Amino acid sequence: MAPPVDSKEHFIEWMVTNRDEDPKFLAERWDRYQAMVTNGDLLNEQTRHAFLLTPREEFVRKNAQTHSYDHNFLDIGFGVTISGPHAVGRMTSTLDIKKGDKVLEIGSGSGYQSAMLGHLTDKVWTIEIIKPLAERTRGVYDGLIARGYSEYSNVRTKQADGYFGWEEAGPFDKIVVTCGIDHVPPALLQQLKVGGIMVIPVGPPGAQHVLKVTKEANPDGTVKIARSDIYNGKVVPFVPFTKLEANGIVGTHNK
Amino acid sequence: VSSSPADDSNVSASPEWAQTGARQALMYAAVGSVAGAVIALQIGVMRIFSEGSWAHFGSLVVSLAMLGFGLTSAVMCLARPWFERHWFGVIAASLGAFAPLVIGANLMAQQLPFNAIFLVSDPLQKWRLVANFALYLLPFLAGSVFLGTVFLRAKTVFGRVYFADLLGSGLCGLLTLVALFFVPSENLVLVPVVLGGVGGVLWFAGLGRPLGAIVMVLLAVVSGAAHLTLPERLNATTLAVSDYKGVSYARKFPDAKREYDSVSPFGHIEVYSSSYLHFAPGLSDNASLNLAQMPANAYLGLYMDGDGPIGVMRELSDKDSAYFHYLPMVYPYLITTAPKTFVVQFGGGISTMVALHSKASSVTVGESSPALLQAFRESDVLKKFTGDILSRVSVIPYDGRLYLANTNERYDVVDLSLADSAGLSNPGGFAIVEKYSYTQEAMQHYMRSLTDKGVLSVTLWNKEEPPKSVLKLYATMAAAAQANGDVDISKNFFVASSYLSTVTVLYKRGGFSAADIATLRKHTSSMSFDEIYSPGIVVDQKKAEHVFGDFRSTIFSTTSTDAATSGGAALVAADGDASVVPATSLYQLAWQSLIRNDWNTFEQKYLFDVRPLTNKRPYFAAYVHPTDLPLITDRLELFQDEWGYLLLWATLSIACVSGVIVIGIPVVFGWRTAFSRYPGKAQTIIYFACLGFGYITVEVGLIAQFVQALSNATVSASVLITGMLVFSGIGSFVSERFASQARVTLPKVCASIGVLLIAYSLLLNPVLNAIGGLPYALRLVCCFILIAPPAFLMGFPMATGMGALTRLKKEEMFLWAWGVNGCFSVIGAALVPLVATAFGLAVVIGTAGAVYLIAIPAFFGLLKPMRGTSAA
Repeated sequence: MAPPVDSKEHFIEWMVTNRDEDPKFLAERWDRYQAMVTNGDLLNEQTRHAFLLTPREEFVRKNAQTHSYDHNFLDIGFGVTISGPHAVGRMTSTLDIKKGDKVLEIGSGSGYQSAMLGHLTDKVWTIEIIKPLAERTRGVYDGLIARGYSEYSNVRTKQADGYFGWEEAGPFDKIVVTCGIDHVPPALLQQLKVGGIMVIPVGPPGAQHVLKVTKEANPDGTVKIARSDIYNGKVVPFVPFTKLEANGIVGTHNK
Repeated sequence: VSSSPADDSNVSASPEWAQTGARQALMYAAVGSVAGAVIALQIGVMRIFSEGSWAHFGSLVVSLAMLGFGLTSAVMCLARPWFERHWFGVIAASLGAFAPLVIGANLMAQQLPFNAIFLVSDPLQKWRLVANFALYLLPFLAGSVFLGTVFLRAKTVFGRVYFADLLGSGLCGLLTLVALFFVPSENLVLVPVVLGGVGGVLWFAGLGRPLGAIVMVLLAVVSGAAHLTLPERLNATTLAVSDYKGVSYARKFPDAKREYDSVSPFGHIEVYSSSYLHFAPGLSDNASLNLAQMPANAYLGLYMDGDGPIGVMRELSDKDSAYFHYLPMVYPYLITTAPKTFVVQFGGGISTMVALHSKASSVTVGESSPALLQAFRESDVLKKFTGDILSRVSVIPYDGRLYLANTNERYDVVDLSLADSAGLSNPGGFAIVEKYSYTQEAMQHYMRSLTDKGVLSVTLWNKEEPPKSVLKLYATMAAAAQANGDVDISKNFFVASSYLSTVTVLYKRGGFSAADIATLRKHTSSMSFDEIYSPGIVVDQKKAEHVFGDFRSTIFSTTSTDAATSGGAALVAADGDASVVPATSLYQLAWQSLIRNDWNTFEQKYLFDVRPLTNKRPYFAAYVHPTDLPLITDRLELFQDEWGYLLLWATLSIACVSGVIVIGIPVVFGWRTAFSRYPGKAQTIIYFACLGFGYITVEVGLIAQFVQALSNATVSASVLITGMLVFSGIGSFVSERFASQARVTLPKVCASIGVLLIAYSLLLNPVLNAIGGLPYALRLVCCFILIAPPAFLMGFPMATGMGALTRLKKEEMFLWAWGVNGCFSVIGAALVPLVATAFGLAVVIGTAGAVYLIAIPAFFGLLKPMRGTSAA
């Protein structure tokens, strides 16, 4: 299932017809999508579609729904944030998920990241440590599945200590760790396949830098674990928060 | 010839201040008690913010609330006749309102917690911060109206009232600090309620009005009872702890259990157990390839004022502790055998545990927090869990830095690992605090205390991108080695890091041997850590310009099209080698600069201020060059760890605006009317501005500097606040005797203060270092002796200046001067850390000295007689 991306009107029309979503949020999603594509936060086609198909407004708290497609992260209670769309886009793009990949997420939070993953592969596992949040997010998924969002059946959830991973479901092709910790849990690295990628945002919300950990085979058959940033040894300028205005990207610095 | 202020002595005292004997004493005691209540409220609000969210927001709110004094004075200045006529009602109302306002404002503020991390992104949070400020301002306003009205009525005895004000503030500040041992933060508001209530009772007793005293008792009791009972009935919280504080997460773990809890001026310590707590700071990723599993239930989480966790490790079997080999703290033990080890800061005990499991022949630990040592010594849970770790080591019950600076003992390993930090990013930012354990002077002491082949190992978090604190550490350690006489430091260092994890710097006295280097390089490689520097390492320096340019553009990019055209990929490859991240390249280049003794060039090219830490500038903070500040206003989220620093600029801006208002209101409304007969207005403003600015600058500056000898910010603050206020109070009292010769004596006093402070700015550093080696009680005595001379003299100018205004009948200016003084106090308090981080603490104290010198000519302007009055 792929929505048209040739124009905002076609996208909204298609989504209203096929997903019965609110045109107001669809318009905002489209605008954010344009900004993200221009910023280089959605690097491949499957991630672009996943973003367009995921109703972010369903994963934020009701009182913050009007800010669903703002650039910034939002509070979802319990001391947890839902990352900004640009950050989620970059993280998901970096993982470069293919159909059939097994993906584990540590720190379900709002459920938004896993929901995007659910559009990319049918094998997603996600763990949340905070029980009431895990229950709330499970409820969001169940509600959406009941409304016809069958792809969220691809997401298996549980409330547990993510430090130990999900051994019986592993090994995984990709792992996303979205909770703060002072080291990469060895159990997660053990459950990562050789050739797999793990990404971990480090730093305060809004200023996070994404750590990429890869597990590779050496020519002699031994295994090597390497750290890098998601830009492969390069640096990317910070772009002041942007939005689409009159077919151009406007940064707050231009005001 | 103008008249001497003392010559106009025909101003009669108000009846209530003309009383004698016990009643007069009660009046002065009332002033002292209410002034003390205001100080207690300041400390209470600071503690509430420290525990509920973050201390620097408390500083902001208190600073702004103190501006209320200035604004009150401006209003009172204009409506002086009304306040003089209705003084009894105004004072009764302000005294009566104080306790209910303290309780009511605090309770409401706690129902409106603001969340620091959303300050930039959520407009609602800014309004919540404003609401907190407005609410906490109310009791301060009541206090300032009381004191302002008292000053207005007591003009003729201002020196004595001011003495009571300062003495009361100092003693009640001390009393509040004692209360911190017994009263948890959520109930600290009861301290100002009690002090305010006592002040009210004393006031009405002094006036001979028992009914008023009874009402004051009732109001205080009802307010206190409301604080203790209302929240439960209303299902309201008395201290809202942010969901984003470390302890809030621990409390949510299903099996979390609080194992230890204590309050003291050193902070609120809580220890939680939970199977969800995991610590292995800096653990090599390769542990996953070689270890079957990490030990379960091996940790307790220790929280200070809700921040943390600091990991407390269970005593583990050799099998379970195998993972220690994968921690960065193990580095010095790879090239030493059965070393005699000194751990500079015990903290949660991780370095100590690693030392014990690395077969150190003896381990000595330093720890400056008595509360932390008490926890490990007295808690059965902690003793059992850690195998009573403190009984297996020698404990230095104060700062390890000071011990090493003043001992002849020598050690094979000196370790300073991840001190003062839980390691994870603090979303609310960090307050600007002195880190004397990491200064060049401290590093010199550590290096000197090594045996001939001894190793100093310093591990720091490496989680900033672009890097900041790590570069400061590098520069500091290299500078220390050079200052110790190592001409060529290229053989003395080995540095390894793990990207977005930790960095470890090893210094070996006498230099590393080839065998040492081989061992360290092999270990670094086997851990998949990055080798940053080792003797003989080859680094391609051609990439330097690219690296500097790219890092600058990560923050200061001015066009979005740069990134847009890159399609989300990089603009410029840092070095063409995808396996080396830019931060690692930067570190390698940094060490090449340090070895070449060319750090100046490096720091000029780098986007942040990365000068070494010294005892004069002991800060891991203020990385943004002040000239770059205008460029970051639209990207504040990137500087969340600097919000403590940026808030100071915000406070300063607001204080300056308020200062203009306080000075401006009377000027606009009274310049050509009420003040028209007053010559020397500008000099009068300058005089009282100098006093406000100078006094607070000395107080705040010395608090920061005395931490060097006293090892603890809380103790330093209590010594300074009490010492300064009490000695100044005495000075104010004594100044009365010299009022008749003020024209001659005050310039001498101000000149003496100036000279004394400038001398302190030059000499204090080595003096405090020497004091730091004395027994603690003696250190306190020495610090009080150091404070006494300037503080005593600094009590003179305010009392003398206000007395002169009274005697010259410049009554409109009386309260205005007090307000100007208050406003510039807030400006000074905000400026101190800004000046200290940029230029050093010596400049702060020296500036204060210069300001007192500037006050001398201004004083002569103040002494100009009113127009229309005849000169003597």
